[in-house]
Amino acid sequence: MTGYWGGVVWGLGAGVLVGISTILGVWGERKVAGHIQKRYGPNTAPVFGIFQLVYDLLKLLTKEDIHPKQARRGLFNIAPLFMTTPIISSLVIIPFAAGWAPLDTSIGILFFLAVPSISVLGVLFAGWSQRNTYASLGGLRGAAQMISYEVPRSLSVLAVVMLAGTMQPVTLMGEWRIWWLPVTLIAFVVYFIASIAELNRGPFDLAECDSELVGGYFTDYSGIRWAMFMMSEYGGMTAAALFGSVVFLGGTWPLSGVLGVLVLLVKTVLLVIAFMWAKWTFPRMRPDQLMATSWKVLTPMALVQIVIVGVVIAWL
Amino acid sequence: MTNDAQGTAAEIVSDGPSVREMVVNVGPSHPSTHGVCRIITHLDGEVVTEADLVIGYLHRGIEKIAENRTYLQVVPLTDRLDYVGSMYNNWAYSRAVEKLMGITVPERAEYLRVITCELQRVASHMMAVGSAGNDAGATSFFVLAFWIREQVVDLLARLSGSRLTYNYVRPGGVSFDIPEDGWVEDLRALCKKTPAALEELDRLFFGNVIAKDRTKGIGVLSAEDAIAAGVTGPSLRASGVDFDLRRDEPYSVYDRFSFDVVVGESGDSFERSRCRLLECYESLRIIEQALDQMEPGRTTAPSIPRLIAPPAGEVYERIESARGTLGVYLVSDGSVRPWRMKVRSPAFTNLSVVGTLAVGHTISDLVIIVGSFDPVFGEVDR
Amino acid sequence: MAVDDVDTPEIDTGESSEPKVTQGTVSAATTDQAGVAGFVGAWKSLATGLGITAKHAFTKPVTIQYPREKAPMPERWRGAPRLVSAMGTTEVPLMEASSLEYNGLIADAYATDHLAPCQGNCPANVDARGQNYHAAEGRWVEAYQLVRERNIMPGTLGRICHHPCETACKRNFYDEPIAIRPLHRVAYEQWNPVKAQYVKPLPKTRGKKVAIIGSGPSGLAAAYDLVKLGYEVKIFEKEDKPGGALYYGIPAYRLPRDILHGEIDDLVTMGVEIQCSTKIGVDISPEQLMADYDAIIIAAGLQISRFPGVKGQDAIGVRGALDFLKDSNYRGEAGVRGQNVLVIGGGNVAVDAARCALRVGAKTVYMASLESDEQLPAHPWEVEEALDEGVVMMCGNGPNEVLVDESNHVRGMRLQTCLSVFDETGRFNPTFGDDFTELSVQSVVMAIGQGSDLKDIVAGTGLELDQRGNLPSDRSVFTTAVPKIFASGECVTGPGSAIASIATGHEAATSVHRFLSGESVSDDRVARTLLAYDKYAPANLDHVEPSRLRAVMPFSDPDERSKDFRNVELGLTVEEGLAEGARCLRCETNICVGCTFCARTCPDYCITVERRDDPGDRMVTKYDLDLSKCCFCGLCAEQCPTGALQMSGQYELSFYNRDLTLFDKGEMLRDVSGTRATGADAAADHASKGETT
Repeated sequence: MTGYWGGVVWGLGAGVLVGISTILGVWGERKVAGHIQKRYGPNTAPVFGIFQLVYDLLKLLTKEDIHPKQARRGLFNIAPLFMTTPIISSLVIIPFAAGWAPLDTSIGILFFLAVPSISVLGVLFAGWSQRNTYASLGGLRGAAQMISYEVPRSLSVLAVVMLAGTMQPVTLMGEWRIWWLPVTLIAFVVYFIASIAELNRGPFDLAECDSELVGGYFTDYSGIRWAMFMMSEYGGMTAAALFGSVVFLGGTWPLSGVLGVLVLLVKTVLLVIAFMWAKWTFPRMRPDQLMATSWKVLTPMALVQIVIVGVVIAWL
Repeated sequence: MTNDAQGTAAEIVSDGPSVREMVVNVGPSHPSTHGVCRIITHLDGEVVTEADLVIGYLHRGIEKIAENRTYLQVVPLTDRLDYVGSMYNNWAYSRAVEKLMGITVPERAEYLRVITCELQRVASHMMAVGSAGNDAGATSFFVLAFWIREQVVDLLARLSGSRLTYNYVRPGGVSFDIPEDGWVEDLRALCKKTPAALEELDRLFFGNVIAKDRTKGIGVLSAEDAIAAGVTGPSLRASGVDFDLRRDEPYSVYDRFSFDVVVGESGDSFERSRCRLLECYESLRIIEQALDQMEPGRTTAPSIPRLIAPPAGEVYERIESARGTLGVYLVSDGSVRPWRMKVRSPAFTNLSVVGTLAVGHTISDLVIIVGSFDPVFGEVDR
Repeated sequence: MAVDDVDTPEIDTGESSEPKVTQGTVSAATTDQAGVAGFVGAWKSLATGLGITAKHAFTKPVTIQYPREKAPMPERWRGAPRLVSAMGTTEVPLMEASSLEYNGLIADAYATDHLAPCQGNCPANVDARGQNYHAAEGRWVEAYQLVRERNIMPGTLGRICHHPCETACKRNFYDEPIAIRPLHRVAYEQWNPVKAQYVKPLPKTRGKKVAIIGSGPSGLAAAYDLVKLGYEVKIFEKEDKPGGALYYGIPAYRLPRDILHGEIDDLVTMGVEIQCSTKIGVDISPEQLMADYDAIIIAAGLQISRFPGVKGQDAIGVRGALDFLKDSNYRGEAGVRGQNVLVIGGGNVAVDAARCALRVGAKTVYMASLESDEQLPAHPWEVEEALDEGVVMMCGNGPNEVLVDESNHVRGMRLQTCLSVFDETGRFNPTFGDDFTELSVQSVVMAIGQGSDLKDIVAGTGLELDQRGNLPSDRSVFTTAVPKIFASGECVTGPGSAIASIATGHEAATSVHRFLSGESVSDDRVARTLLAYDKYAPANLDHVEPSRLRAVMPFSDPDERSKDFRNVELGLTVEEGLAEGARCLRCETNICVGCTFCARTCPDYCITVERRDDPGDRMVTKYDLDLSKCCFCGLCAEQCPTGALQMSGQYELSFYNRDLTLFDKGEMLRDVSGTRATGADAAADHASKGETT
């Protein structure tokens, strides 16, 4: 199933998956936020309000494509793609079922950690190309933040890789044992927090930061381009949750086959809800505090986790 | 939106001498300006080196319009001054007119004024505290604070018929007596259950490590500076100055209630915001006492004609609004329209220190500092 | 103006004052810890936050689910103002009912906020609003008949009533009250020439007989009601002419006798039988009455003047006010010609006595009252008229001693200053000062109060008087200890007004009817609505156009009129009456009359009102409410006298037409002397443009 056409097919499939996850994600986010805030969230559109987002999508698709006068047109147009494409690509290594992934490669873990980081470019392009102070600040903040948080995130995954002895996601999922969960708990927490920062979501949404920077790196975007930023955010969240449930929560464990896929989905949804829960609970950090948290809290925690795992492996 | 002459990214890439300093134009249309304030911010990296406040975007000339309105017609105008705390404006203005006319307000009206204004204080503080949290990104905290405000505003709407611009306190009394549909019981129930909700808000935001990191030590205003700049209200008390007109210069029936004045110490953004939260407990205490003490009676002074024409003279009346000392200076020439009205608005004076406080903090802290002073631009610009 | 500077708090920073709260409480509970504890505490605070949000997420939301649930709007919600109905489309409801049902009608109207204040403040609840409505259209006969149903003698009362209706008139609020009382008189004058075709004998259908003792206002009112119900009614009057206090007490310069007797004659024509010069207990025994009649109403009024109990009050030349008034009115001669007369008392009777004294030839008339100028119980307009005529007021002086000469004739009076009339509990308990004044007068009239003399009337009926000589009786249904005897009027209520006596007469007649029909007198009977409306402060008339002011009642020249019993008030013309009727605001009818007070009250000038004002064709031709300017303050609806303008319960933004949001410059620079809705500005605009209107 490899080769050029296989890539095209899986790319399209992942694109559809990201689209669906955006629709459900926005709906879910609004529902979660609503209930936390003693509201119902969207509830008048058909099917519990899910169609609200379909309407929204239609509206965004048909909106005028606005380019700010001073923007650098080429970069401005291409930046959203730099956000979305890496996210879609990264989905390809996720083992959706026990023993099977669209792209079963021995460096899958590395692939997932590396490819979505390309979206830093998207953030920078977007922030730079608008030639707007808010966007510039947002882009710079986003780039700094995403690069910094790569470190604790990679380190946290390293702990599981050490236990499994492989970087192939399919194998890793097969190797996964329930006792790994308590042993790698710190790594899971670090991964969770680092993923939020990587995705520029609250409480680390400094790049967007509506109370200071209005919209951050996508301040001047509208219509479908803005929707692509949203897709990258919700697709990225889905990808991070899928990867997290595969690596830290055992993926399809304890079931296999179709039921296993369901288990994976449930774990993913729960993780996504947890992402949203955190966003709608905490205040936002300041950029310098964010960096300090990365280097002074999360990185040491991840290192401690590696030491623990090392001891456990030695003890085994 | 930000394609302003002073704030394009062009300045960042240009090779001129200003290459290291960026000018960010915050407002007048910006989520964190609490209205329409413009702050021209000079940034060194993310650190503010200079913050210029530009006000006047909401100037409607209310003081001038008032000269062309009869004394009763001015009351709805004062609603639009501090639209988060309309009751105070109504009250301060009505007190000024009453002093000019020499009207004695019936006791029940005074109690109703105290009750509505303390309710208003809760509503106003909930908006202030909530939006201060929202500036720090705590959206749910903002909405939960607004839920308390919402309950208060519902009660005020049942009493006065409106949710924001009440037009309730009038020269000579108040416009309506308490409705017969269980209003008092609902108010008592609210007074009973709100402290728990306030305590929860306190833990949710002011106990949170991120919020504390964001607000503590940010925008420290010393007591001397505060007094020198004429800062009043919770913003002043947070700096450790024990001054509250309700206790120090008791007007109306405030001398009949026992309540504490919440005083802070360090005068940073954290204390300014939390001071407001803690004042809500005291307001609820006052309301409960007022409900106990209130007796039936009339709610407007007798024999007040529709067209008030006070004798010539001038008065200055001040009350403690949610934002500080709210004063109304009124000059009458004996006709049916004020000759001159001047409002001493606390938000305006409080805002004057923001520019200097922000220097040295990051742009993220700037919005926190602005939010902690709870400016309402209807009152700043008038 | 350095107002901002004035306000800097002059306080210290907390060292010397005693703060109720120790400083620093704001941060006390949230101090940061360092090290591991701080690290753990930080994670704990995050967990606390997550716990709180989770708790909220799993409790039921507090908002509504919109299409299925709707939020209730508060009753007082100020949505967009809305005009319910306007003049020209709906008729003004008239308050017409027999006395038996009238109280219920009034109570209903009051409960539904449809009772006009003039009607509510009137003791007999006369439908003044309806009268004005008829008057504005020139239907004088209808106006007269409508008023007569409650106020049995509009022509009489139109001259002497103390018009509580005008005190409560909502127009006081804006400019001046409607001239309701003078309109009674205009209506009477229009009705009088044509009354023959309306006044007809009423059939006596019930076959039962009622005797009424006293032909004062109360007795006549009761008789009128009972005659209308078909009873055979006979009034016994001890004097030789009917009218009671109206005849003997009210001076002729206020009430010409032909008017009073003309209206009494109408009642006689309708079937009331009046037997004068018949004193119960002397000419006819009470037992006889008890035997001959099915029910008796005692409406004998007050016949004797009270005396203050000072030294020398039995001297020759000291008289009670009632005797004095009777003499001067009836005979036109009271034996004071050329004398100095002192009237003691501050009530209306005292003023009447003083003015009568002038008219029967007194040289100088003094009036001494305990109360000060402002507190005089007499109606201010009467006091003013008396002062015009030359009565010398000596307010704040109480009687101390009547000085007599050797032959026990009055030669003077010593007065003592009075400091306060009532004590703290509001009881009559005057305190006197040490200053004395001596007046040289030859005659003293005591007008400090009246009492009743019912000894002869009750003798043998089984009724007993209390030790003060009053007849114990019910003050709401006017029954006495004997089932078939009722009492009404001032002998029950004490000194009061003619219209209040008439109201008691109506009630007594209702009681009699219920008693004679075998019903319970008081069960499920609606009590008379006695409301007290605020007394209005005088309105500022600086900017009021003359066309909006009350018609001015012409008076005869004070110097001339004080010499004889000619009319003091000369009455309004029919044209003035029409205009006055049109001034009426038709309070609480929910029908807009185009008074433009909403336009004057609106702080945003968004209301334009125009009306056509020709008699018989009155209508609101334009009511323009520009919601784009409206600020929903509610002042317009609050002050609307008719209640036609209401704040609708809609949410204010549910309006699509709010596009005109800018004031034009002309509006901002508008002259302050009026609003554009008054028409005054429009006329000025036209004039400035050289147009003629």
